[in-house]
Amino acid sequence: MRIAAGVDVGSTQTKAVVVSDNGGVKVLARALVDTGANVQRAAERAFDMCCHEAGIHSGDVGFVVGTGYGRYKIAFGNTQMTEITCHAKGASFLCPGTRTVIDMGGQDSKAISVGANGEVLDFVMNDKCAAGTGRFLANSAEVMSISLDEVGPLSLKAKHPVKIATVCTVFVESDILSYLAQGKTAEDILGGVHIAIAKRTLSLARRLNIEPEIAMTGGVARNVGMVWALEEVLGRKMLVSPDAQFIGAVGAALFALEKLDQSFESGIWRGDHAVSGGH
Amino acid sequence: MTEKKEYRGSIHQWQKDLMLAWYEQLDQAADTGSPATVSMMISGNCVELLEGFGAVPLYPEVNALQLAIRHQSLDPILAAEDLGYATDNCAYVKADVGCIVKGITPTGGKLPTPTLILCNFVGCNTYLKWFEHLAKLQQAPLYVIDVPFMRANEPSRSDLEYVIKQLQETVKKLEQLTGSKFDYDRFRQAVACSSRTEELWSRIKHLARRSPSPFDAYFDAITLMGPLYVYRARPEGVEFFEAALAELQAKADAHKGVYEQEHFRLVMEGPPPYPYFRTFRDMFAKWQACAVASTYSTVGGLWEFGFRHDPDNPFESVAMHMIAQNVTNRNFLQRYEQIRRYIEEWNADGLIIHFVKSCRLFSAGQGDMRDYFTKQLGVPTLYIESDLEDPRYFAEAQTKNRIDAFFEALEHSKTATPVREET
Repeated sequence: MRIAAGVDVGSTQTKAVVVSDNGGVKVLARALVDTGANVQRAAERAFDMCCHEAGIHSGDVGFVVGTGYGRYKIAFGNTQMTEITCHAKGASFLCPGTRTVIDMGGQDSKAISVGANGEVLDFVMNDKCAAGTGRFLANSAEVMSISLDEVGPLSLKAKHPVKIATVCTVFVESDILSYLAQGKTAEDILGGVHIAIAKRTLSLARRLNIEPEIAMTGGVARNVGMVWALEEVLGRKMLVSPDAQFIGAVGAALFALEKLDQSFESGIWRGDHAVSGGH
Repeated sequence: MTEKKEYRGSIHQWQKDLMLAWYEQLDQAADTGSPATVSMMISGNCVELLEGFGAVPLYPEVNALQLAIRHQSLDPILAAEDLGYATDNCAYVKADVGCIVKGITPTGGKLPTPTLILCNFVGCNTYLKWFEHLAKLQQAPLYVIDVPFMRANEPSRSDLEYVIKQLQETVKKLEQLTGSKFDYDRFRQAVACSSRTEELWSRIKHLARRSPSPFDAYFDAITLMGPLYVYRARPEGVEFFEAALAELQAKADAHKGVYEQEHFRLVMEGPPPYPYFRTFRDMFAKWQACAVASTYSTVGGLWEFGFRHDPDNPFESVAMHMIAQNVTNRNFLQRYEQIRRYIEEWNADGLIIHFVKSCRLFSAGQGDMRDYFTKQLGVPTLYIESDLEDPRYFAEAQTKNRIDAFFEALEHSKTATPVREET
């Protein structure tokens, strides 16, 4: 049995996934830790936790691919790939039939056109602006003193969602304060916030040919309000895997499995400072 | 393993020497008032006309980019913003204005007050205000050549005559300002030199159709563009480009490329982020990706499709160059066609569009351009944003991430296979 791992170091959370291939690919374990200030340590912790969860030794893992913004800090990783490529691969595996990925992470959102084999055909990302990202939601939750886990379910109770004019993650706070001063309910304000983010994301995704099936990936996919708002503006259902938050790490792990069969020198592998060897 | 490749043939030093000699002439002009100097914009410049007076061109854009590439552009930009220029004004303008206000020059030498500020207004309407401000700041006379934009594929006869008349007015203006008579024969010789230089430059650009390309038609082409704009109309320019062609031809004949293995061939649209020029280049070098053609290298003139200055019709050919044969003054459909030809005839794998945040005029419409190439022609296209002069707009991690993802996608599209889940 071949075992490989993917570690996705995101801006807020670090995810690790261990997969095996024994005639078919299986996710053995997943782990999640806050990234914090020490990116390298976060990657190590997530990886160690994941191996422990899978009941294996880290030395059993034949190849590790790092992804996410902190991928070059994963000292034990064999190589690195962008999260764009990994999300396409992971979504195609966990949500078969995926042709479009909408990934909403902590500080960026992206739309990816995916081919039949999980390859990236095209992609667009937000640029130098956190509008339409998890950070927009987090700031909105903070200004209303509501936990991030609650904002999604609360937004679904909105009766008359307010209009959020700004797309700026900073200035949305003053919009919210203004609505609170007008006596609007938290539900209606959060409903408006979710719709504003969904519309922003749709305008980004429209730069691609949005084709079904559409899969949502990234940490924000856990937010039921965000999934609902996106489906409303898209006018169709999305595929949302229970492992949506881990999809980047899953994709990285799948690439790592492929590397066990291929020469490290050939093909796609262009790690800037890839480290070979054990962990 | 990151592969850092930059062309370092003998012409590289020669190019440096030529540009330093140019700055020395400008330094001398600042001290003695001679030779006469004329500020112009690069796009569709009429440097041939200046030769009729033995005058030397001054290019505010070249000064600005020289500062940026030496990581010195932010101070003058901030100085201009202190004067009231907005953050989204053209950063070239701000760097140039800031330099004048603070007395900064790219070499540390002196720059003269121009004999004439000649606003050869081509495509970029920011230039009108830029040169108005320069005239006021430098207390120098201003003359504007109003060049009609390319509204169709060819300029009309009246467009040509309109520009020719203004060129002749420029001659009269320069005769008044320099006290010298325009030397028509020298002008014709200059046009003949330009024609020869353009032929050589065009042949160099066509060498990039070879695989591997012997030079990078974006990053290395920029090295050759300085002499092209300053010396095109002089024998020194012809001599330099003869050497450049010979050197690169020899490289091509020996099948030597920019990289040991040329992995990707690209077309580049838009100027580079000069404050991070090396960093940006390394992001492509890592993937052994070579630019085989670029629109930026046609800002000063578009010669690879056959246009040449004509010594038998010097004024008319200068006018034609200014109106129709530089990318800045051409309409978007012509720019699309130029890029499409590059992709097909130079056999490129993809297109990189670099959107310049502070250049709305050149960059507006690039979103549609991306759509056209990806959706209608199926050309893999990467769209990235930063700035050509202002270092504050360059986000290294984001830019690198997009570039890496683009090349991963290009590679992966060739090798991808489905993964089967265990049942």
